[in-house]
Amino acid sequence: MTQSSFVSTLGRTLAGGLIGGISLLALAAGAASAQDLSLAGKTIGVAVVGTQHFWDREAFKGATEEIEKLGGTVVPTDGGRDNQVHANNHDVFITRKVDAVITILGDASVDPKLKALKAAGIPVFTVDHLSPEAVNNTASDNYFTGSQIGILLAKAIGGKGKVAVFNAFSGSLQFCGVRYDLWKYVLEDFPEIEIIKPELAEVFANSPEDARKQTLALLEQHPKGTLDAIHVACWDQPAIGVVQAIEEAGRAGDVVVTAVDAGPETLEIIAEKDSPFVANIAQQPYLIGKTAAENVARHFAGEKLLSQTFVPVIPVDGPEEAKRVYKQLGYGTIN
Amino acid sequence: MPLPLAAASLAPGLTLAMTGIVKTFPGVRALDAADLDIRAGEIHGLVGENGAGKSTIIKILGGVYARDAGDILANGEVLAGGAAADMHAIGIRIIHQELNLVDHFTVAESVFLGQERTDRFGGLAKRRMRREAEAFLRDVLECPLDGQTLIRDLGIAERKLVQIAAALIDGKARLVVFDEPTAPLAAAETGRLFNAIRNLKARGVSILYVSHYLGEIVDICDRVTVFRNGRHVAVLDAPNPTRTDEIITWMIGRQLDDLYPAAAVRTADGIEAEPSFAVERLGDGRSFADVSFSLAKGEIFGIAGLIGSGRDELVDGLYGLRPPATGRVTRAGRPIRLDPALAVQSGLVLVPRDRRRDGLVLDLAVTDNINLASLDEVSTAGFRRERRANARATRLADLLDIRPRSVGTRAGLLSGGNQQKVVLGRWLAAEAEIFLLDEPTIGVDIGARAEIYRLVRELADGGATVIVSSGDAAELIGLCDRIAVLVRGKLVEIVRCGEISVDGLIARTTDAAGQRVAS
Amino acid sequence: MSLAISAPSSRAWLAGLVSHAALIVLTLLLAYLALRAPNFLDAQNLTAILRQSAPLAILACGLSVVVIGGGDDVVSGGIDLSLPAAAVLGAGIISYQLSVAGSGLGTALLFGLPAVLAVGAANSLLVVGIGLTPLLATLATSVAVSGLTKLITSNRRINVSNRAIDWVRDGDIGGIPASMLLALLVFAGLAFLVHRTRWGAHLQAIGASRAVASLTGLPTRKSVALSYGLAAAAAAVAAIAILARGSGSSPGSEEPLLLEMVLATFLGGAFSRRRIVTVWGALLGAVLVTALSTGFALLQVNIFWVSGIKGGLILLVLVAAALDERLRR
Repeated sequence: MTQSSFVSTLGRTLAGGLIGGISLLALAAGAASAQDLSLAGKTIGVAVVGTQHFWDREAFKGATEEIEKLGGTVVPTDGGRDNQVHANNHDVFITRKVDAVITILGDASVDPKLKALKAAGIPVFTVDHLSPEAVNNTASDNYFTGSQIGILLAKAIGGKGKVAVFNAFSGSLQFCGVRYDLWKYVLEDFPEIEIIKPELAEVFANSPEDARKQTLALLEQHPKGTLDAIHVACWDQPAIGVVQAIEEAGRAGDVVVTAVDAGPETLEIIAEKDSPFVANIAQQPYLIGKTAAENVARHFAGEKLLSQTFVPVIPVDGPEEAKRVYKQLGYGTIN
Repeated sequence: MPLPLAAASLAPGLTLAMTGIVKTFPGVRALDAADLDIRAGEIHGLVGENGAGKSTIIKILGGVYARDAGDILANGEVLAGGAAADMHAIGIRIIHQELNLVDHFTVAESVFLGQERTDRFGGLAKRRMRREAEAFLRDVLECPLDGQTLIRDLGIAERKLVQIAAALIDGKARLVVFDEPTAPLAAAETGRLFNAIRNLKARGVSILYVSHYLGEIVDICDRVTVFRNGRHVAVLDAPNPTRTDEIITWMIGRQLDDLYPAAAVRTADGIEAEPSFAVERLGDGRSFADVSFSLAKGEIFGIAGLIGSGRDELVDGLYGLRPPATGRVTRAGRPIRLDPALAVQSGLVLVPRDRRRDGLVLDLAVTDNINLASLDEVSTAGFRRERRANARATRLADLLDIRPRSVGTRAGLLSGGNQQKVVLGRWLAAEAEIFLLDEPTIGVDIGARAEIYRLVRELADGGATVIVSSGDAAELIGLCDRIAVLVRGKLVEIVRCGEISVDGLIARTTDAAGQRVAS
Repeated sequence: MSLAISAPSSRAWLAGLVSHAALIVLTLLLAYLALRAPNFLDAQNLTAILRQSAPLAILACGLSVVVIGGGDDVVSGGIDLSLPAAAVLGAGIISYQLSVAGSGLGTALLFGLPAVLAVGAANSLLVVGIGLTPLLATLATSVAVSGLTKLITSNRRINVSNRAIDWVRDGDIGGIPASMLLALLVFAGLAFLVHRTRWGAHLQAIGASRAVASLTGLPTRKSVALSYGLAAAAAAVAAIAILARGSGSSPGSEEPLLLEMVLATFLGGAFSRRRIVTVWGALLGAVLVTALSTGFALLQVNIFWVSGIKGGLILLVLVAAALDERLRR
């Protein structure tokens, strides 16, 4: 699929999704309509923590393509999925004296850089990174995400059983905290569901392979019948390794997997017959990036933005829904 | 600039009397009641063949070895101890043959290494050290150098002088022992060193000068002690060039025995006509230059020369271990490239001097060592043919009379002579045509020596060309047809063995006539 | 007249080129960046480079002491690959104490810094006491220490908010970033010890030639053991700089630091007249390596290319050093 057809398909499906009234509204309400927005003559720095993962790449693409569409110039940086490099990359924007910055993901090490940008008079717009220095943060509705995946997990294991969770980031990334906390909050309604302690911690870079090893060890420790589900609290790259490990250990049908993000690769896994991967929450990273770019333009148009813009998410429950959402989000078709 | 006191002052010379010094190592009596008597303020020479006990007595003077018996009187007082610290305390300083300098240190840093001057905050007094080092080198050693110069940018003679300055800078030296100080120097450079040594003498310091170069010894020394077989055999007063023959006679003191196989010395006429191996103006850019000779089939050609003559480097160069910078080598009239890998292929083999390190795989069996250079011949399609390999090795071991006869023995367990024979055996197996034997009998007992000589002669009789590099004059005279004499990197003469005595060869290699200093 | 002067000139020319190769390539790269990377030479960018380079500079200065004492032979010489891992361990422990255990900064440092020094002591023991090859011994400690860090931090990022730490990150004195001041302090201390004291002169001799050192009667083992201790002390300071830079500790921070530390330290050798690793060369090397990273980011060069270029530069430095050694012989 070419890029342009991809974008147009995406546009169409998004329109469909919004009209269909799935979950929440985008709260970026404002006076200026889409046609009036312009970034002509503006240079916008776009920093992304990495481009190896689908989500990162899509959000980055959504932002940069929209900026260019609106007539702006992009100064991109890529952290190579290293939070420190990502943070340091922001120095480039001060040096290049850009007009505004969109920063995608990143942990707290980026905050001092955002502060410096603000001090230099450069407005900062964040994607999935809540910061007091930012004009606005565009993100999925993480509250809905967390609670929905909790409900789907409970449903998948019949409301009782033992659940292991990969949760490395709830302490360090605000949106991960929301997803994890609400997931847990929902599970509190099911007294027969027990979360295994200690929780697991996945790594940031090269996560599928690391998660595969950790899961193999976990399955050793918890033989058949003593583990019912593994949840990845904040994303789903590790879940790819988790599913591999479950299949390697012959525990498919015994242990189910849930996660959030639902990029094409994980949707494909869910769509497989008898896949251990049973539920996910699909985000719309391209739309999130695009929305952030639009917010920059709205800001320059003099509009007052809310500090948070929520972009809707789509729950995915089982293989059939995975196929449907795959198509709906324009990733193609799965037979 | 006025000379700082600390650098200028040297302590008065030491009178040292060593009597009845004994030092035994397992199986060897290195010093056998040796006497050495050094007077205050004299330059005393010490000469002797390899193994005479010179280096052992130097190590006792340096406190490296403790004497087993014997007395040392320093300025008339009995010296009880003999540790390095004791020797240092009475003012004995050893100038080692090796340079012992760090290439990227400056002159000042090298002079003061281990005895740095500090300021009152504990930091290095760099400027002061530089000043003192420069002053010492200039005033005492007549070698004006910038203290900031790096050692690597100095000539060898200058490095030697820096090494001397480092030993003497503390001003407490009373007896300085020079161990082969001119070995690494080119002829013209020795003059500077001698100036420095004479300067030290003029300032009253006692000096023990140990060297193989008799020309130097008679030139610079006030008295000379000759060692032979761990004992002093003579002390000569007022040596001069007319007395070198006398010194050589004292050094050798033995008759040649029947170690060497009788062989008619070939006349050189036939040799030059059909050279099998020729060297033309070979040089390595530092240790030897302009070396030419040509050899015939069946000839045994000796290379004689002392440490520092470039002999070792020439052998390495011929084999290609250190490719020569200038000149060329031809085989049967065609130039060949000098490269160890190609050398074997083209039938040129080296039996190295340090066979334990370079020549043998000590952990492998005798069979494997013998077959190492000719694996192709005992392999079929890359697989070793065990039986064929063993048969070959056994045949060669018989031929060479290697003991024990079992070829499965680990090479490391054999005696030196038998190890040497294994290495020779390997090259016989490889059917080489030109043999380069580097110190073939070092560490080999008398009985095995005779066998090796017999083998070498048989090789030559079978048509091989053999080059023997050796520091043993008697060995060369007994074994070779012709001998090239190297002195300080130059081939000064090619002598025919029938026309020269052992004394004569020693006189030539030791530059007894002192031509070098004169030239 | 010595025979030595007759060495062919083409060889000398080649030796000169080889010993300057890294310097030439670096100069060309920096010149290119200065010309092409927008605003590369801005005061703001230069300050940012200084600020970013602090942890690297501290580690490189520490490593230089070990290399000076152990010799710069690439295989058997002195090297301490565990320094970044030790520093990250320190940062992890301090973060844990501050943010999870809720200790004060003093207590946190009291836990964190000795842990880093202990890694140095372990290296001393392995290399000097037992006689392992530094390369392999410190590689092993590095892996072990990384594991320990993951254990302590549960392999998670720990955010830290502490006024003193924030000052190290953002503060400055007279326009010089606080973190760089920390680096300069470490540099001054180590440079004084190595280049201005008897101990340092002996350490240099030991590294240059063990044979010369022992013939001169220098205490080789003690000095080399202490060099690992000093490097660990530098790593302890680097722990604070890493903690401040990242506002906390992240698992895996040691990896990129390792490559850059080795690069900066050996690159530093190219600046010295004697072609040897020095403390000040390591400091300069660290700043220039960071300048490269920043310059490439300004030029929007793909991050993976940047890693490739740095790896290539390390190879160039090491190969040049090895060739230099051979040509000199």
